[in-house]
Amino acid sequence: MHHGMRLTKMAGTKRRILTLLACCMGLIWSSSAIAEDTAAPEPCFESRKGASESVPILLENGMPSIKCSPKTGGVLWWGDPFFNTEPLGSLPMFEGQVSGEGVMRSRTEKLTLFTVCGVACHNGFYPPVPKSKNPRALTMHLDIVPDALNLQHGNQAIWCLDCHSAKQRRFLEDNFGNPIGFNEPQKLCGKCHGSVYRDWRDGIHGKRIGEWASDGKKRWFVCTECHNPHDVQQGTRHSGFAQIEPEWAPKLSKGVDNFDYELKNADGTWKEKYLPKEDE
Amino acid sequence: MPIEKDPDASQPRARPQRVSDATQTPQLSATVSRRHFVIGAGGIAASSLLGAASLLVNSDDEKAKIEWAEHFQTHYRLMTDVEKAEAIERLERRYSKQYGKDVVVSDSPAQEGVLFGYALNIQKCIGCRRCVKACVEENNQSRGKDQETEWIRVIKMEKGEFEPEKMHQGYPEDYGIQVGGNAYSAAGVVLEGEHHYQPDVVPEDDSLYMPVACMQCEKPPCVKVCPVRATYREPDGVVVIDYNWCIGCRMCISACPYWARPFNWGEPKLPKKAMNPNTHYLGNRPRMKGVVEKCTFCIQRTREGRYPACVEVCPVGARKFGNLLDPQSEIRQILDRKQVFRLKAEMNTYPKFFYFID
Repeated sequence: MHHGMRLTKMAGTKRRILTLLACCMGLIWSSSAIAEDTAAPEPCFESRKGASESVPILLENGMPSIKCSPKTGGVLWWGDPFFNTEPLGSLPMFEGQVSGEGVMRSRTEKLTLFTVCGVACHNGFYPPVPKSKNPRALTMHLDIVPDALNLQHGNQAIWCLDCHSAKQRRFLEDNFGNPIGFNEPQKLCGKCHGSVYRDWRDGIHGKRIGEWASDGKKRWFVCTECHNPHDVQQGTRHSGFAQIEPEWAPKLSKGVDNFDYELKNADGTWKEKYLPKEDE
Repeated sequence: MPIEKDPDASQPRARPQRVSDATQTPQLSATVSRRHFVIGAGGIAASSLLGAASLLVNSDDEKAKIEWAEHFQTHYRLMTDVEKAEAIERLERRYSKQYGKDVVVSDSPAQEGVLFGYALNIQKCIGCRRCVKACVEENNQSRGKDQETEWIRVIKMEKGEFEPEKMHQGYPEDYGIQVGGNAYSAAGVVLEGEHHYQPDVVPEDDSLYMPVACMQCEKPPCVKVCPVRATYREPDGVVVIDYNWCIGCRMCISACPYWARPFNWGEPKLPKKAMNPNTHYLGNRPRMKGVVEKCTFCIQRTREGRYPACVEVCPVGARKFGNLLDPQSEIRQILDRKQVFRLKAEMNTYPKFFYFID
């Protein structure tokens, strides 16, 4: 059973436990029920697997903060779209354009090294501040960028220090050398992806949850919640969004055993793509 | 076999004898005319029915009472405010008991100056089906192996291709009509593509995906054919169903060009724990056996200002929603700036669901 389901029964379980105690039905059962329900639920991902995980908790209104898919571990439903968010910051708008309150989920809390990176290693002395932007093979951070000389972003035209600040590792950098926080990646990405940035700002590109009104309160998903900046090319796929596992297929109609009919031609032969392989 | 014509069809049929007629006996006094007798008998019958009703209404059996009252409930649009309030109170009582939680049945009306519209970026969709499952979570559909109801269908289509060896083949002879792809290589073999695809990861490189649900047409064929007007268009453009008024004839299902309406062939299976207690009378309240249901743009959410569940869940942000009458809304920005098409536009249904590409 997935944690999403486990959560929804928490409130009921509390009541059940109280009833059990009152009825003097024995402590063994109730303690086992507590053990089952207090086990930490697994995190599930919102849009980008591995970078947008959150753990479902029970909100004050009795709803779970999120419900998750038992198959893929993807978030299916938000009990409160603004849970655990912070203000988005100002955005340049067209003249006369309205914008409601915008909030976002902090990105820095997903970065495990963020709190220590500027102190522990990139403290100005060790490792030394790079003198040039010339690409070189990395010895660290290989979990993020496995092959720095073949960076899956920008088709070999950019490198780490085009985005990351060379001196202040807790910041990104704009075209003028000014720092950009990790919580506002749109300012960085908009340096090159101007049309996408404009669409995102106007609600055409990207994801928002909350209120639909143009002046309503929305939680905006920022660039890095969906795209991996270190792998936006996805090899030969040339797609900004990584492949993910799909949810389960719809049930077959009654009296139908399989869906071969979807894979066959009108004359009953297999579609070329689904021909049983000869060597099998 | 030809249907035999009823020989008496052209003649007026003999009036079927009423039960009250059968009780008429020759012993009756000549002063009591047949007409007066029928009226009297009818009165007695009606009063005995009323008696039964009053017995039921005053009975201690909560369930019987509610069912009785629901049975005589009128069409939602014809109800007075008092009747609506009563109907909703009844439903809330029944659902709360049935599902063991405080269920709210809203009757919030359409907002002034709002016409809902929807846009889907067909280029972005990866076919992950999360919208389908989120919809089920939100809208209290039946689930499980016996009866699984989904309001959104995601159809996998093959991408067309141009190949040198096929250039001489001309139009696809087998299919008669072009069904997608290009003239030399028809995309998809059955016209409806694949519903049951289950690869390890999506999107597959050779496929594109087309989610289809209710288009909330401005001229909905389903509304035209409904013999009891149980389905109708609300002022904010959403086509809804009064489930209590639906007779289950399924005319709307065959009229809908988008396959958007599923039918409850059996008693819907809705687990208590998973039941969403925030419901709307015309939307996601639990349905019964023998009624049609469909997407309502999450009326219980959108009338309270919130995005539909499928819009929120889409991991690639392909789904967009807003007020068509607000020039600042996301949907209007898309209509102004993107290339947009409507599914089966030639049917003159005027969908408010738009597909677009970047």
